[in-house]
Amino acid sequence: MRSLAILALVLLLAFCVSQPETVGKREKVVIGVLAPLSLPEGSAQEKAARIAVEEINSKGGILGYKVELVVGDDKLDPTVGSAEFRRLATIEKADVIIGGFSSGVMLATMEVMAETKTLFLTDASSPSHSAKVAENYEKYKYWFRLQNNATTFAYDIADMVKMLRENGYEVKKVYIIRDEHIWAEDVVKALKPLLDSLQVEIVKDVKIPRNYAEYEPLILEAEKLNADLIIPIIALAGTGDILVKQWASLKPKLLIGGDLLAANDYAFFEKTGGAANYVIFTADGGTLVTDPITKMGKEFVEKYKAKYGHYPEAHQAFVAYDAVYLYKLAVEEAQRNKEKDPFNSDVLVKYIERFNEKNPVVLTRPIAFAKNHDLAWGDNLTRNWISQWQDGKQVVIYPEHVATGKLKLPPWMK
Amino acid sequence: MIEIIELLLFGTAIGGIFALIASGFSLIFGVSRILNFAHGVCFAVSAYSAIFLIKEFSLDVYLASLIGIAIAVLLGLAVYAITKPVRANAVMVIIVTLAFALLVEQVILTSFGNRGMSLTPFVEGVQVIYENLRMAKMRLIAIPVAIALLLALDLFINKSMAGKRIQAVSQDLEASMLIGINVEWIFIITIAISSALAGFAGILYSQIFNIYPAMILRVLIYAFAIVILGGLGSIRGSILASFIVGYVFVATMKTLGTHWSEFVMLIVIVGILIAKPTGLFGVRE
Repeated sequence: MRSLAILALVLLLAFCVSQPETVGKREKVVIGVLAPLSLPEGSAQEKAARIAVEEINSKGGILGYKVELVVGDDKLDPTVGSAEFRRLATIEKADVIIGGFSSGVMLATMEVMAETKTLFLTDASSPSHSAKVAENYEKYKYWFRLQNNATTFAYDIADMVKMLRENGYEVKKVYIIRDEHIWAEDVVKALKPLLDSLQVEIVKDVKIPRNYAEYEPLILEAEKLNADLIIPIIALAGTGDILVKQWASLKPKLLIGGDLLAANDYAFFEKTGGAANYVIFTADGGTLVTDPITKMGKEFVEKYKAKYGHYPEAHQAFVAYDAVYLYKLAVEEAQRNKEKDPFNSDVLVKYIERFNEKNPVVLTRPIAFAKNHDLAWGDNLTRNWISQWQDGKQVVIYPEHVATGKLKLPPWMK
Repeated sequence: MIEIIELLLFGTAIGGIFALIASGFSLIFGVSRILNFAHGVCFAVSAYSAIFLIKEFSLDVYLASLIGIAIAVLLGLAVYAITKPVRANAVMVIIVTLAFALLVEQVILTSFGNRGMSLTPFVEGVQVIYENLRMAKMRLIAIPVAIALLLALDLFINKSMAGKRIQAVSQDLEASMLIGINVEWIFIITIAISSALAGFAGILYSQIFNIYPAMILRVLIYAFAIVILGGLGSIRGSILASFIVGYVFVATMKTLGTHWSEFVMLIVIVGILIAKPTGLFGVRE
């Protein structure tokens, strides 16, 4: 009798363990957003994901299940980010988590992702994230980046230098001002050999902390060192507007052109009181409010404006919106292929990986993944278009096949 | 030559703003022995209030700044009120004022976000100083304005009757009460002046640089370090220390790079305190 009871208990336990938790018990699909909500880059992700969720729910949800959005604030802190990821994954039972912004926070949250085996569709830019996938695929395969990585920023900045030369503006010396952060480190590491090959000298490479605002002496120094171009690689410092204002008021004989995240914001011109005019910047992920490159992108920015009264504050909005739809597509594809649990993260990784360079999915941008789960970069995929603020508008000036305008130099440079 | 002029001008501008903050912090400590960890609140709130008033009500920058400073004074008086019951306990004062500062920081964070904001400058444009050296007019204006305010404070403390009463309370609280000085009023006047100075510093700072929620505690660290360097309770010491810190700050930024400026500034402060533990103008109690 005792043996029978033990056998029954073992069978019962085996049955419980073998039953996928989600199969048959699901009432809804939970999508988590993890982002620094007090920053525009973070709040834009939540807002964009909310639009996508509302649209999907209005059309019957995902496989008939209503989609629910749960939100976590990483406060740009790796410890907080990890705790919030864990809460979303375990307490809120998020099926997928989208978001991220800081590369440092991303490194920490990826560990919780691996532990909880949660699908993580992200922003952030350091190549160290995708390197983890390459080094330990089984552990980190749940991570996908829907934004170009920092190395591609270097490619685009180098192309910007070439474009300036082609347009008659000689660039021999550059002065770099960059975030004191892992992502900017990665950009500069990739950029240095590219500039070397173009015979461009880096006269100074200045690291700035968060909220740094003392740009006047740096601009004067750049001018003194005969730099032709200040290359800002600034996102987390959060003071791109001040750099631009001080540049426009000092009117030095040099241009500003680089990865200046703040310049991606449609309201940047107004925020700088017009000082943004002639500033050249990389439109991160090929997303500009004035020039969306796909039909879905065009519709998205207008929906965003209709709902929130303004256009997306940051390109992270496009990332989050695409992430929600990418997840839906992957689940539906898994269902079509009669997967036992189409919501299972291990299953979905395979389906998301199918969107590669030969088979991109066109959302607000063409989305395709490399083997290390980085977003594929290229003219016909997603890249950071070289753009310029011209009379209150963001204009793509390179590459030519997407350009909507030509380079303009500030009047004091002529 | 041009480097020295640049260092002097940029260092004086930032030093002057530091001096406005630190002198108020020192004044409160000197008179009431309160270590006001909420001093940065007045600095930040004046700037945020002015930014808000300009954006939402299209107020003139001068009027908005004036109201911002008035709000800073009101907050200073709120600090006086909440610390009054615990004033005898120095640790409790630190806890209460720090908690208040953190609370205000969270309110600002929730209301304005974490990204820095700038206040419209009183004067726009750039001034050519020497050869190719140019400087924002607002930064240039901040130098005489800060110095004028510091001189006015010095005159008020040393020449006016109210200032003499403040000095008396600072030197001996009980004796001051015995000769009929209304000590509570002196405390209120002191905290109002200190808050106004911090508020004005916030207005100037946010016109040249930018303001963000974490400035509340950052400013406190600067003020604390400067006041210790100048000698606890010595206003003149604080002012001198502020300018030293300003020059070290700018010189480090120019030579070693921006990310070293705060580190070197703190190393210099520690170095001076090792050589002179009472600070530049402090005396052993």
